[in-house]
Amino acid sequence: MLKQRWDTIGIWAVLLFMPAPIIIVAAASFSHDGYIQFPPGELSLRWYQEFLTDARWLRALVVSLGLAIAGALLSTTVAFLAALAVSRRQTAFTRYFEVAVMTPLLFPHAALGVAMLSLLMMIGGYGTFAGLLLVHCIITLPYAYRPISVSLRKLDRELEEASMSMGARNWYTFRHVTLPLVRPGIITALLFSFILSFDEVTVTMFLVGPFITTLPVETYSFIQESGTPVVAAISTVLVVMTLLLVILLERLVGLEFFVEPDRK
Amino acid sequence: MSSTDLAFRQKLRDPGREAWGRLLLLAPAVLLLGLFGVSVVQLIASSFVDEGRLSLALYTDFFSRADYRDILFRTIRVSLLVAALCVVIGYPIAYAMWRYKGNRSHLMILIILPWLVSIVVRTYGWMVILGPKGLINEFLAWAGLIERPVRMMFNTTGVVIGLVHILIPFMIISILSVMLHLDRRLEEASASVGARSYHTFFRVTLPLTVPGIITGTMLVYLMSTGAIVTPILLGGVRDRMMGTQMYQEVIQTFNFPKASMLAFLLLLAGLAVVLPLQALERKLSRFMDQKGS
Repeated sequence: MLKQRWDTIGIWAVLLFMPAPIIIVAAASFSHDGYIQFPPGELSLRWYQEFLTDARWLRALVVSLGLAIAGALLSTTVAFLAALAVSRRQTAFTRYFEVAVMTPLLFPHAALGVAMLSLLMMIGGYGTFAGLLLVHCIITLPYAYRPISVSLRKLDRELEEASMSMGARNWYTFRHVTLPLVRPGIITALLFSFILSFDEVTVTMFLVGPFITTLPVETYSFIQESGTPVVAAISTVLVVMTLLLVILLERLVGLEFFVEPDRK
Repeated sequence: MSSTDLAFRQKLRDPGREAWGRLLLLAPAVLLLGLFGVSVVQLIASSFVDEGRLSLALYTDFFSRADYRDILFRTIRVSLLVAALCVVIGYPIAYAMWRYKGNRSHLMILIILPWLVSIVVRTYGWMVILGPKGLINEFLAWAGLIERPVRMMFNTTGVVIGLVHILIPFMIISILSVMLHLDRRLEEASASVGARSYHTFFRVTLPLTVPGIITGTMLVYLMSTGAIVTPILLGGVRDRMMGTQMYQEVIQTFNFPKASMLAFLLLLAGLAVVLPLQALERKLSRFMDQKGS
């Protein structure tokens, strides 16, 4: 009994180290001083004020939010349509497709960045919102595809057939039987690709131009230039946003998806 | 089976209609993957062209310079070290999470939250901790243990610490997902025939969870070779890695063919480790299937 309590204390102690760096940054963001300090000296919201009143940051924030929302919707839709087609019938083509859709994951991000830059130079779209959106869709597609394809695989085809055999039309069956059953997969895909797109930096840093940049890339450049504690305030906002999305994900569908095996 | 039922089933399985429908559904995804494929081909092709002719000049230049070779080997070395440290630290964590009796969801949040927070933010956190005026140095100075700040940043040590912390969730999640689908009864059976607990662990649990270690190692290694932000911010300009070099070639000198060459080398360095690991994983799963039957 006693041993078990120590096990519990031990694992919590170790795991609390995981978010330690972001907690330290969050604490330092309330400092009044002009340099980063932990524990913070005099407390103030000065750096939050600077973040929210500087056009440089606000523009980047708007771009990041727009990119993440549009990217999540697009890549989830694309992934859903493809997963639906693959789940209907397995052919040689769909087997190739299932391998191909995961290959971007085999690319080290820096290499992916150069490849995406070469793509945007070729088809146009370098330094534009549309170009960034296209690349974010390509990057998030595997992450959106997997949860949906897992939930479609679990779906019992018999239920759809039962619905149709009782006279329900295709669309009705889709809307009232298929969609609710794969809802957890779709929610996971949406939230997961939103978070990935919103936080993405390694690939995006190759693609931003003088007229458009995202919040993580702009934060990175700022750390290189000077790095006043406004970085800590921005970081805290990013952490809180991610935390809210993770809690939302946990409440809506649970976090078990992350430890779901990929075997069929 | 009634005739309407039959007609309905035929309609449902009309092969021509279904094939077109499926193709239409797949089209957007195929388009995205096609663009990705084109970009990779373009990347590789441009690294083999010099002054309009097919040439290996970029590659021979790269390997003839010792400082460039260093960058490549450092990247591989650091990534292997990071992957090994992630196994050593991540496995016990995953194991403890697996044995945890309480609500595992709460533990999962502690792993997943930092994992999903932007790399920039996490790297910045480590700058605050490891920097010359950072948390650790300030503490050591306050405690009177040091006179000058200890150098934990702007060298490979800083990069390794940062990358291990940033990438370890991949390892923990990969191992845990294999553990959660293990049959708990195997361990109990081993214990019931009188095996000691360490014996059970090394003969039963560890071998069965090797696939998780392999997946985690592949992910961590790949992410580590392709990292840019952490090596630049924690490593500085001296101990460069491939990602850092590629970013500089593109941003500062706009030497696109050279960046493509580096990207292709990086891809090969990734595959050189990942493909053998994948083969090992397949062999292992075949072996276990045979043993199981």
